Amino acid sequence: MSDARHASSPVTGATNDRAPLAGLKVLDVSIMAAGPWTAALLGMLGADVIKVEPPAGDGTRWALPVQNGMGTNFMAMNVNKKDITLDLKGDEGRAHALTLARGADIVVQNFRAGVMERLGLGYEVMRETNSRLVYCSISGFGESGPLRHAGCSDPIMQAFSGFARLNGAPGEALDAFRFTGFIDLSTAAVAVESILAALIDRERTGCGQEVRVSMLEASLEMQSTRVAEWLLGGELMRPNGSAAAAFAPDRAYPSLDREIFVSVCRESEWRAFCRALDMPGLADDPRFATNPLRVRNRAELDGIVEPVVAQRPAIWWLRVFGRNGIACGLAHDFETFRYHQQIVENDMVAPIATPWGEVVVGGVPWHFSETPCAVTPPPRPDEHTAEILATASADAKTAEEVGSDA
Amino acid sequence: MLDGLRIVEFAEGVAGPLAGLRLSELGADVVKVERSSGDYMRGAYPTAPGGTDGAAFIDLNRGKRSVALSESPAAAAALLQPLVERAGVLITDQQDDALSVLGLAGIIAASERGESRLIHISISPWGRRGPLSSRKGSELTAQAMTGYTRYLGVQGEPARRLGADVASVGTGTFAVQAVLAALYSRARTGKGQRVDLSLCNSLLAMKSIHLAAQSNPDKYEGPRVGGAYHPPELGWKTKDEPVFMAFGGSVGPTGRAGWVDFVKEVGLEKLLEDPRCDKNGRISTGHGAHVHELREVYEEAFTNYSGEQLADLIRKHRGNASVYQRVDRTLTHPQTEALAIVCEAETDGQVRKFRRFPARFGRLQLKTLARPPGLGEHTHEIAKEVGIAAHELAALKGSGENAGDDA
Repeated sequence: MSDARHASSPVTGATNDRAPLAGLKVLDVSIMAAGPWTAALLGMLGADVIKVEPPAGDGTRWALPVQNGMGTNFMAMNVNKKDITLDLKGDEGRAHALTLARGADIVVQNFRAGVMERLGLGYEVMRETNSRLVYCSISGFGESGPLRHAGCSDPIMQAFSGFARLNGAPGEALDAFRFTGFIDLSTAAVAVESILAALIDRERTGCGQEVRVSMLEASLEMQSTRVAEWLLGGELMRPNGSAAAAFAPDRAYPSLDREIFVSVCRESEWRAFCRALDMPGLADDPRFATNPLRVRNRAELDGIVEPVVAQRPAIWWLRVFGRNGIACGLAHDFETFRYHQQIVENDMVAPIATPWGEVVVGGVPWHFSETPCAVTPPPRPDEHTAEILATASADAKTAEEVGSDA
Repeated sequence: MLDGLRIVEFAEGVAGPLAGLRLSELGADVVKVERSSGDYMRGAYPTAPGGTDGAAFIDLNRGKRSVALSESPAAAAALLQPLVERAGVLITDQQDDALSVLGLAGIIAASERGESRLIHISISPWGRRGPLSSRKGSELTAQAMTGYTRYLGVQGEPARRLGADVASVGTGTFAVQAVLAALYSRARTGKGQRVDLSLCNSLLAMKSIHLAAQSNPDKYEGPRVGGAYHPPELGWKTKDEPVFMAFGGSVGPTGRAGWVDFVKEVGLEKLLEDPRCDKNGRISTGHGAHVHELREVYEEAFTNYSGEQLADLIRKHRGNASVYQRVDRTLTHPQTEALAIVCEAETDGQVRKFRRFPARFGRLQLKTLARPPGLGEHTHEIAKEVGIAAHELAALKGSGENAGDDA
C-alpha cells in the first residue's frame, strides 16, 4: 500500500530512513519548476531537502490556479522538503546559505548564469569548505554560448528546441504543448540522473563536483529518437496528427464512437492486427510487408483501415485488439484516470494532505522493493526558518569548537 | 565511473535501451539480450543509409554487445541464467512469467527480497499490479491514458500525439535514476533489490503540476485548468517565423519590469491603458489570462519584425522569447554548438553524429560510444565469458535453430 496515500500529517517533513538516499542533505536554492522538482525527487528518494526561498517568495506561490490561496504549482513542486527564507543578497542570508552548504551533500540552484558567483555562492567558493559537495546548476540554454544569459521557461524551450514543431495536424507547422512545465520536469529528471551519477563518482573518489544541466539538453533528450532519425537517418518528423514517426500503424483511429489508440511495432503484431480487422489477406500485401514500407505507404494503409475501424465502437476494438496482443487504449482525463484501478493500485498518483487541503500530485516514478520511497506534503513557506537556523548555528559552533581544539 | 559493472539489458524499444545507453556512457558494460526476432526497434523507420537497422536503434544501442537467445526456452535459459547470475544489474521490459520460462524466477525473487546483490529494473507499460498489468502498451497509448493528448489540438477533433517519445524517454531516465540510487543503497547494505517502473507512471509523475492544479482549485482560472480547452498554441506571427514570448519573470507576486518599454518600442502604447494588461506584461503575454484576446493586437505590430529580430528585442527588454525552430536548426544553432551537444565518432569507416549525454560534469569522464551491435553478434563471446564453451552452445541450440549469432 502507498505510504503517500495514507500520509495524513500535513506538516511533518518526516524523513524516510529506509529510502535509498536517507541521510543525505540537499540545499535547494531554486524557484519555479525545474530546480524545485529536482530537489523534490531527491527528497522522495529519501534525502533531507531544505528549500531556500527569497524574501519575495517563489513565483509559483501565485501561479494560477490557487487552492485555499496557495499556488498548486508550488505545492506540487515542493513536496518532500523543509522551507526557509533567506535573502541571499544580504550578508546574513549569504552566511547562512554557506553554513548550510558546508553541511550539505548536494546543492541545486537555477539562477541565471553567473548570479550565484556574484552572490559569493558559486561552486568554487563552496568547494573550499566542502570538497564532497555535488553542486548542480540548472539553466535554460546552458552556461556558455550566445544565449547563456537569456531567460527561459518551458514554452520558450519548446519553441527553441524543436519540441513544439514535432506536434500538430498533418501540414501544420507546429502545435505547442499547452501542458506547460513538462520541459521543466524533464530537466529535473535529467538533473537527478546526473546528480546521482556524481554521487556514485564521489563514492569512488571522495570528491564532489559541479554538474550542469540545461533545459535545452533535456528537451533534446526528450526528442532522442527524433534527433537520431535526423542525425543518422536524414529524416525529420513533421507534424502528423496522432501518427508515429517510426512505426505504422501507430495512431488513433476514429471508431463508431470515440477514437481508439493502437500501436503496431513488431512484425508479429502486424499479422495480429490484420487478423483483428478480419482482413488476414492484408498481411500479405507487399506494400505493407515491413514496417518501413508501412510508414512510407501510410496513406494507402490508412485508406484501407479507417473505414473498417469506423464501423464498430471503441469498446469492440479494445476487446479484439487486446485479444490479439496489440497495444491499444482510450484517451483519459484527470477525473477518469485518478480513480482508475490501474492508476490507484500502482500508486501512480499521490493524494497528500497539505496545509491548503488535499491535493493530488504525481506518485513516485520508481517502486523500490527494499528501500521504498514516498511523497510527503509540501511545507508552508518560511515554516522551518527558525528551526533550521538554530540547528545550523549550533552545528557551526560545534565545528568552531572542534576547530579551535585541534 | 561504473567500470566493472555488468548490466544485462533484456529490453527493447526505447525506455530500457536508453537506460542501458546512458549507463554505458557512465562506464558500465552492457550486454543486450535479444530474442531471435531481434529488438523491434531495429525495424523502426527510417533506417540508416547502407544498413537495415533503424536510425533510432543505432543511437540507442551504441557501445553494447548483443546476445541472441535460442528459440528453445531451455537453451535460452542455459545462456541467460549464468549471464544474469554474474551481472550487477538486470534491466528488463519482460513480464515475470516470461522471465520464469527462461529460468530466472529464483534469481529475480531473491533480488526482490534483497537476498542477492542483483538490482532488477522491471519496466512495463501499465505498472506491475492491476487489471492492465499484463496488457501491451506503447508510447501513444500511454500518452492517451495519462491525458497528455488533451493538451494538443482542439477538443473534439482528431487527437494528436507529442512527437517526442516522452513516455519512453522519461521512463528510461527514471530507470537510470533507479539503477544509480539502488547502487548507492547497495554500497551501504550489500543488498540488491527490484525496482518497478512504467510508462504510465512516468508520465503521471511528470504531470504533477497539472494534477495538483486540477485537484480542487479555488477558481476556474489559468492555463493549467483551462489549457485543454484553449485554442492551439501556434505562436505569435511575425514577418516570417512565429515566436513565443513572455514578460514578467518568475519572482514574487508581481514580477519583473520591461514590458512597458517594449510596447513603447514596438508602437503598442495603446496597450498601456488597456485594462487587460498589467504593467509587467504577465497577463497579456506568455500563458496570461488575456493572451488569446490580445494576440492579434500584438501581431499587427509584430509584422514589422522578423522572428529573430523580435526575439532579440524582447530579450533586450527583459522578456523571454524564442522563434519556433525545427530541431534540425536547433542542432546547428550557435548556442547548441557552443555546448558541443552533437559530437562525431568514426566506426566501421563511417562518421556518425550523436547527441552527447545530456549533462556536463566537472570531473566525471563519459565514454564515447559509436557502434551498435548486430543481432547476436557477441553470442559466442559472451557465452565463453560466462563459462559456456562453443561446442556446448552449439549443443544447447539443438538442431536447425538459429540463434542469429552467425548472421
